[in-house]
Amino acid sequence: MFDEMYSDDAQIRKHYLQVNSWLRTMSSTVISQKNFEAESHFKRIGITFSVKDDDMTERIIPFDLIPRILTNNEWVKIEKGVLQRAKALNSFLHDIYNSGEIFKAGIVPKEIVYKKSSYDQSMINFSPPRKIYSPIIGVDLVRTGKDEFYVLEDNCRTPSGVSYMLENREIMMKMFPDLFHTNRVLRVDDYPTRLLQTLMSLAPKKCDSSIPTVVLLTPGHLNSAYYEHTFLSDQMGIEMVESQDLFVENDLLYMKTVDGPKKIDVVYRRIDDEFLDPLCYNPDSVIGVPGITQVYKTGGVNICSAPGAGIADDKAIYIFVPEMIKFYLGETPILDNVETWRCERDDELTYVLENIEKLVVKEVDGSGGYGMLIGPKSTKDQISEFSTKLKSNPRGYIAQPTLDLSSSPTLIDNEVSGRRVDLRPFCLVGEKVQLCPGGLTRVALNKGSYVVNSSQGGGVKDTWVLAD
Amino acid sequence: MLSRTAENLYWISRYMERAETMARLLDVGYRMSLFPNPKGYHNEWDSVLSAAGAAQGYFTKYNEINQENVEDYIFFDEENPSSVYSCISKARNNALLVRTAFTPEAWVAINKSYKEILELKNKKFTRADLPNFTEWTIQQVNMFRGSANSLLRNDGYHFIFLGTFIERADNSARLLDVKYFVLLPTADYIGGNLDNLQWIILLRSLSSFRAFRWAYDGDVTSTKIAHFFILNNDCSRSLSFCINNIVYHLNCLKCSPDKISDIYSGLKSVHNSVKDETVESIIEYGLHEYVTNFVSKISFLDNQIQNHFFR
Repeated sequence: MFDEMYSDDAQIRKHYLQVNSWLRTMSSTVISQKNFEAESHFKRIGITFSVKDDDMTERIIPFDLIPRILTNNEWVKIEKGVLQRAKALNSFLHDIYNSGEIFKAGIVPKEIVYKKSSYDQSMINFSPPRKIYSPIIGVDLVRTGKDEFYVLEDNCRTPSGVSYMLENREIMMKMFPDLFHTNRVLRVDDYPTRLLQTLMSLAPKKCDSSIPTVVLLTPGHLNSAYYEHTFLSDQMGIEMVESQDLFVENDLLYMKTVDGPKKIDVVYRRIDDEFLDPLCYNPDSVIGVPGITQVYKTGGVNICSAPGAGIADDKAIYIFVPEMIKFYLGETPILDNVETWRCERDDELTYVLENIEKLVVKEVDGSGGYGMLIGPKSTKDQISEFSTKLKSNPRGYIAQPTLDLSSSPTLIDNEVSGRRVDLRPFCLVGEKVQLCPGGLTRVALNKGSYVVNSSQGGGVKDTWVLAD
Repeated sequence: MLSRTAENLYWISRYMERAETMARLLDVGYRMSLFPNPKGYHNEWDSVLSAAGAAQGYFTKYNEINQENVEDYIFFDEENPSSVYSCISKARNNALLVRTAFTPEAWVAINKSYKEILELKNKKFTRADLPNFTEWTIQQVNMFRGSANSLLRNDGYHFIFLGTFIERADNSARLLDVKYFVLLPTADYIGGNLDNLQWIILLRSLSSFRAFRWAYDGDVTSTKIAHFFILNNDCSRSLSFCINNIVYHLNCLKCSPDKISDIYSGLKSVHNSVKDETVESIIEYGLHEYVTNFVSKISFLDNQIQNHFFR
């Protein structure tokens, strides 16, 4: 197992030296007090989430005081790799909704794409502004060695978690200002500005103003990411709207204001495709805007991300991303995919069933750490139950080797102990393609656990990228 | 500004203002219950209930009036739409919906109040805790008002203060209406401690007892008290002060001049009445009638604001 702080010969890595000596100065009383301070801060600002089976309680995600640190060299590689991926994924989306070159080249079988419910037929032959479908891509990375970073999945729809990246940094700077005097940590607080610039650069053709009106569309305060919606709107200084604030007239989209209707140019939507427009998708949706897709198709408004962008982060499409990078960009992939077996193929299913106790098996349409089996951590019964499911619906599953996620020093009961982490940086794709130097580090707080999801015992850390 | 946002801001401040009124009323009832009268102790809980507009709801739940029940009903009861708990929790819900129109300070103030009242609600309390609850509530409302100072002076800010002063105008007027008879000239002739106590209730419930002493020389008379509550512009809870502030914030709104002048025309007669009338002429006209008319004008104003800006 790769340790982020200790090298193989048990030496503290150079970029952790300062943090390590800072840790030594903190008594357990101070740690408890700072933990309490952080927790109260998060509760006060209301950065809470609700858990699937328990949606009435507001919880906060446990925050670990020890930052996860990346050197500038490590970051440069991640940055290049993520930017490359983000460009390729957007090219792929444009291609599969237009000429379909990648099908003709025999690289991706078109049946796989066409059969997916996330493939939106109504988007065929439509091109969004700048041909960008997915302006915000969250790429989930795991590390297994000094230079070994793997992409676990891409999130091309509306990745969440960026508010934690920003709030975790704020609380760290507030509680431990000295740390930022001794470590040169690159800033992340300009992310909202960059996000707004990105969205403004994606104004549709009918926008006649040099300053496009951007809004954030939220499903409402019951959504688990509601805090993030308010946070981002607030930081960008844009209206956060709900469906009842919007209406369509003469192929344009308006919001109701105290001053009368105001035209909207760009909608950063945080609701799923299905609920976007009851006239076009799910007719029962009460959180969508009737007629918004018509406005979109006629260039009256841009919807970010584009309807149908979700096909690009489908687990069945994931395996083709390295090929996409070669095909569209003519480049060698900088970040590797995790080896993946598709259970729909007979030979691969056989392999998966024979080696299931060593593998991680995931539902193709699952998320949030639900509906998955971690072979080495499961009982015989769980394994046989999952094998039965696999056999009856092989198309619904993929399998990957159990990755030995890197471990990062974490405070458990006021003692430093290694816990496994992942990393989600947020890539912005507009007029510029850019990556904010940082991201969300999630940590599996249970000893030995691989599951970093907040719904299942995961916590978060501040993520530092050091200046060189 | 989104219509929905403006509406939420307006209601947040109304609820917070109402929470304060409720807490002050309870405090008055509590103080009175400590003073002896010939038969035992003063009992003002029924006038507290009617001033709070809570009598009907209270009696569907309880048969008799006692401090514990009134306290619980006005402070914590979820079934009472105007209890301090209901007000703070509704204000917090509305704030949740318009967080982007708020500064973090303003949100934190309301969210913190809500979290704390949840805790208070679940604790066992004794009679002696009541003044602490009142003090706590007033602190929370002050924190909210103070944090509103950090807001951008856009329409949202003025909708917040429109809400504040419309609610306060309504609350002050209703309180006067419950006790108007103790301010009638005939009350002077009755004299005696009881009537003085009744005046003190009025002054205390508006947290103006000391302010009144500073504002007026010499004896306490019913005319002076009526003047203080209705026409005195230095009294931050008088009808006149409220109306002036409503007019001020209305004129500060940058949106839709047509709507604003339409609303103002409906308000003109009340505005003039607090400017030009004297206490004597109001009493001659009928204090009760004056106050009733005032309450209905405020309610009409509220309706107009809703229709013009929030629909």
